[in-house]
Amino acid sequence: MCCEQAVFQPRQVVHRVRNVIAIYCAVLFWGGVPGAMRAEEGQPTAASADIEFFEKKIRPLLAAKCYSCHSRRAKKLQGSLQVDSHAALLAGGDSGPAIVPGKPEQSLLIAAVQYAPDAQFEMPPQGKLADHEIAALTEWVRRGAPFPGGAALPAESPGKIDFTEARQFWSFVPVQKQSLPDLEQADWPRQRIDHFVLAAMERQGLRPSPEIARAELLRRVTFDLTGLPPTPAEVAAFVQDPSPRAYETVVERLLKSPHFGERWARVWLDLARYTDRTASWLYSTGQAHLYRDWVVQAMNEDMPYDKFVHRQLATDFMPETGPEDVPALGFLGLSPNYWKELQLPSEIIKVIVADEWEERIDAVSRTFLGLTVACARCHDHKFDAITMKDYYALAGVFASCRIKERPTIDEALYAPVRQALLEITKREASIAELKKKKPLPQAEIDALTAEIAAFRNDTPHFDTPLASAVVEESLHVERKGKTMQSGTKLVYQSQPQDLQLFIRGNPNRLGEVVPRRFLTVLSTTDQPVPFKTGSGRLELAQAITTDGAALASRVLVNRIWLAHFGRGLVTTPSNFGQSGQRPSHPKLLNDLAARFIAGGWSLKQLHREIVLSATYRQASRDDGSRSETDPDNIWLARMPRTRLSVEAWRDAMLAVSGDLDRTLGGPSVSLTDTANQRRTLYGTIHRREMSTMLLTHDFPDPTAHSPQRIATTTTLQGLYALNGPLVLARSAALARRLLAAQLTSDQQRIALAYELLFARRPTDRETQLGIEFLGETGSADRANVWSQYAHVLLASNEFLFVN
Amino acid sequence: MQPVLANLLSRRNLLRQSAAIPGMLGATAFLSQQSLAETVAGATPAGCHFAPRAKRVIHLFMNGGPFHGDLFDPKPALAKYAGQRPSGTDLVTERPTGGLLASPYRFQPCGESGVPVSELLPYLRRHIDDICVLRSVHADNPNHGPALLQMNNGTILPTRPSMGAWFLYGLGTENEDLPGYVVLCPGKPVRFSILWNSAFLPASCQGTYINHSSIDPEKMIPHLRNKKWNQQTQQRQLHLLRQLDAEVQRRNGQDQAFETRIRSMETAFRMQFRASDAFDLNQESQRTRDEYGKGHFANGCLLARRLVERGVRFVQVYYGNSQPWDTHSNHNETVPNLCRAIDQPIASLLADLKQRGLLEDTLIIWGGEFGRTPTSENGNGRDHNHHGFSMWLAGGGVRGGMTWGETDEFGFKAVQDRMHVHDVHATILHLLGLDHERLTYHQAGRDFRLTDVHGNVVQQILA
Repeated sequence: MCCEQAVFQPRQVVHRVRNVIAIYCAVLFWGGVPGAMRAEEGQPTAASADIEFFEKKIRPLLAAKCYSCHSRRAKKLQGSLQVDSHAALLAGGDSGPAIVPGKPEQSLLIAAVQYAPDAQFEMPPQGKLADHEIAALTEWVRRGAPFPGGAALPAESPGKIDFTEARQFWSFVPVQKQSLPDLEQADWPRQRIDHFVLAAMERQGLRPSPEIARAELLRRVTFDLTGLPPTPAEVAAFVQDPSPRAYETVVERLLKSPHFGERWARVWLDLARYTDRTASWLYSTGQAHLYRDWVVQAMNEDMPYDKFVHRQLATDFMPETGPEDVPALGFLGLSPNYWKELQLPSEIIKVIVADEWEERIDAVSRTFLGLTVACARCHDHKFDAITMKDYYALAGVFASCRIKERPTIDEALYAPVRQALLEITKREASIAELKKKKPLPQAEIDALTAEIAAFRNDTPHFDTPLASAVVEESLHVERKGKTMQSGTKLVYQSQPQDLQLFIRGNPNRLGEVVPRRFLTVLSTTDQPVPFKTGSGRLELAQAITTDGAALASRVLVNRIWLAHFGRGLVTTPSNFGQSGQRPSHPKLLNDLAARFIAGGWSLKQLHREIVLSATYRQASRDDGSRSETDPDNIWLARMPRTRLSVEAWRDAMLAVSGDLDRTLGGPSVSLTDTANQRRTLYGTIHRREMSTMLLTHDFPDPTAHSPQRIATTTTLQGLYALNGPLVLARSAALARRLLAAQLTSDQQRIALAYELLFARRPTDRETQLGIEFLGETGSADRANVWSQYAHVLLASNEFLFVN
Repeated sequence: MQPVLANLLSRRNLLRQSAAIPGMLGATAFLSQQSLAETVAGATPAGCHFAPRAKRVIHLFMNGGPFHGDLFDPKPALAKYAGQRPSGTDLVTERPTGGLLASPYRFQPCGESGVPVSELLPYLRRHIDDICVLRSVHADNPNHGPALLQMNNGTILPTRPSMGAWFLYGLGTENEDLPGYVVLCPGKPVRFSILWNSAFLPASCQGTYINHSSIDPEKMIPHLRNKKWNQQTQQRQLHLLRQLDAEVQRRNGQDQAFETRIRSMETAFRMQFRASDAFDLNQESQRTRDEYGKGHFANGCLLARRLVERGVRFVQVYYGNSQPWDTHSNHNETVPNLCRAIDQPIASLLADLKQRGLLEDTLIIWGGEFGRTPTSENGNGRDHNHHGFSMWLAGGGVRGGMTWGETDEFGFKAVQDRMHVHDVHATILHLLGLDHERLTYHQAGRDFRLTDVHGNVVQQILA
């Protein structure tokens, strides 16, 4: 089912082409006895000779070869085409009129039966008709295609969508601050959130869990807000802080930490299918990390979410941002693109390009709106009020921009660099040629090399980083020569384009022109205003946060909730449509979303409210009663015990062993390199060759939007915990740190390890087990045994899980 | 059991593990079922419901969907009506197809049973008396993703456990040193890991995916070797890990996720030693290697034999990356090559298992996610066909040398003794000693089954 196929690999693209072609090669085959061969249906205007010709040669042929797919009695009408009346032939199907009476050379039907080289179809698909049959059909059309019989027209297309009704769907209706529910345990709430959560709990007969111990709370909130463990000093300070606002102080400190942005950028990058590298044969541009760093900075600055959306889709249209903000466009600029073999016919390349546009629509609509708009490429959405026209209205936007690298300075300033790059390329080509000569013309090579160096050194702004971005250029896929076999050329034009609807998703079968505009169901009228400025990216971005504000805000609030609680209020975070789940706490989601907008779309405020809530401060320990009543913890009468993401796990190993490099930003570094001590966020993500470590630990496929991570436990993870080079290296480093500490006994070292890793002191039994394990070893073995011990602690569940 | 592992598999540990892993009878063979049932909340106590006929399963998965009319279900009418579309062939598949396309391959009655097999499978033919061809299998959906899910997970939803996970849940594993459920594929089938996931069943029931493009065990299984610690050290470490973990759980309460993860490390520990042996094809004689033949699929079959021999409960061998059997075009050019790649390996696998006395309690399943149409797609291809297609079973408790059910005269639709995928699953579970209606897991308010609310055991094919 196309709806299910989110990603098309090149192989599958070919498939898709075949699929699409096959679909419009609507089948004509043998259909038994013709149903209507009655003389009384005779068309008075047709000459009797023509009628005889038709009844003898044409009607039986159509009935035998075409009717089973192209007539009123076809079980499934193919291509919306009926060939069982004159009127139906003129009305045609998805591809337009089947015949032009008197003009066989202009008639699709004739081209199809001729299996003409550039025909859209070859009909009947199971085999070409006999020559005399083709000749008869041609002659018949030449005679004006007389067709005795009634003027049966194809049935009307299925019912139209009632958008007014569709706008009443729960996720589309305006968000509204809710009145607080009545509670039994009215002294429990600390934040508005808590009123709604507790009301739901009380309805379910549940009671909230007690508040978690301070040290555990600190470990939880520090990981949650920064992706890193708290230091023993931070734990001690918090535990001993007598102030009633001690926790608030901690939360503010963490929200201000630069590591906050690193942690939450990664959440966004899963949605944005961020990658540093892509397959070598695919076009890739710019320095991907500039986008990653831009997201980190946006999170740290608490950029209002609406601006965050606008800038990622259209910062180049916004007067308040300059070229330094171009990396924001990486959301689009790093979109996966598919291999286009330009030797192939343009018909095939058009499908690949159409698949790319679909990918953009999928990523943008699911990320920002929680809607699966890509489902409407071939037909109106099966569940949601999204039409094919809506799809092509958005596709036109992406068809009007091109993935290209852009400088982070003014184009005018950068122009000389472009010139210099051209000159350098020329000289590099010359050098390559010269190197083939014998004897080697070293002097010439040296001269050119010097010139290249001069260009590099003397051109101002030469080293300006280029961001992965988009520019305003529309793509037109055209035939290179006259025939299909001549291959394809890609033509870029500065003018934006409205797309013609692709009938059944096939770019080779064009329907009406659809102006670029926003989704109908999210607009205030059934005729949304077309976009006017360039491709329409800015208008699209603005529509998402104005007309689409209610939905966009619900979706975003739910994503943040999901990241904190391990379960969304809506459990299908990127599908807020009919086939998605309904919210467990509808009023809470409504209230949060409304206040999120009213409060200026501040993400940090949202985080603050969540982590300060009584809900969030509950213990995860359960006596069994709550998990029995509510095994999936829908009603949040306890906090879930959560497992660290692979990033946080690796970062924590580096942090507790004292080697974490806390530098922010910059180009990615390979994760296979054990000398890499930077945060995992900066590890190289490669769409084609994923790091084994990430692959083994539930890291999502960076080729497609990933709504949420799914934690698995596998033997391969077990092997990594035992033998992974990183784990072994970190164990040695942690052992070194423990041994180097100014401590007098192994008991104290064990205590330090527990404080570093688990934010607590060991129990006597734990200390004793450690001492027994370490045994009485000579100094030579000491480092080794401590490494073994550290390894156990790093591999432990307590280190990986957060209470 | 290796002596060094004794303390890991102490009765106490087993009890604790099994408490977290309901129904893992293989791991808890020493315990009474009752004690397990008492400790497990939310799950029906599992284990064999009656005497099993098969103890392990090898599933040879022809991903993409082979055409039964070329292989096990001869349809002479295809040649007779070639190019035509007689009534009864107007079935909806994924794509429109044209007239009937004859299969050019000859069949002949084989073995003592005389069951016809195609000339494309000259080696496999010789084993037909051990094979039960199911000619009337049908499924619900003609698209790869949903059909793969249905064949593997019982439903087209991506949120249900795979049948392998159900096997492990019901039976546990016979070898604690290796994963109980291994998926071999030289690449990735469509939908990838969802096809062997455990969904709501314990995570330890999920399949372990191994890409056997390279047959070097250390390449198949990342991080298989510890370059620093020897076996004794690792064993001490795991012992400490368990003890410390027990301390934490004593204070914080039991957590199934903790247990599962510790277990995964313990399995990994044993896998280091057993896997390099189990996965090392170089330990096979040249003669055996030659018998199985060359290629990824041959290697997969041989690996499967080595694994089941060591007590791995379920091995799936996917034919190849993506969907190689998906012959929408140039069908007749492609199929002979595909058949060559599977024929000798499967025949050798059957012979090998038989010779080792393993065939009698090892069930072999062969099939794709669906079949293909007898009608042509664009003249030289065949579309997906879920209306009727063939699979076959051999070994563990299956009557060989027979066919079950029939498709129509063109092989488009199952018409006689129709066998839905649910029935296939019910029958497989039956052979494993499991009642598909009693192998349940309670969650989200109801009991879930591999066969949902469907499925009938086809008694007629049982030996």
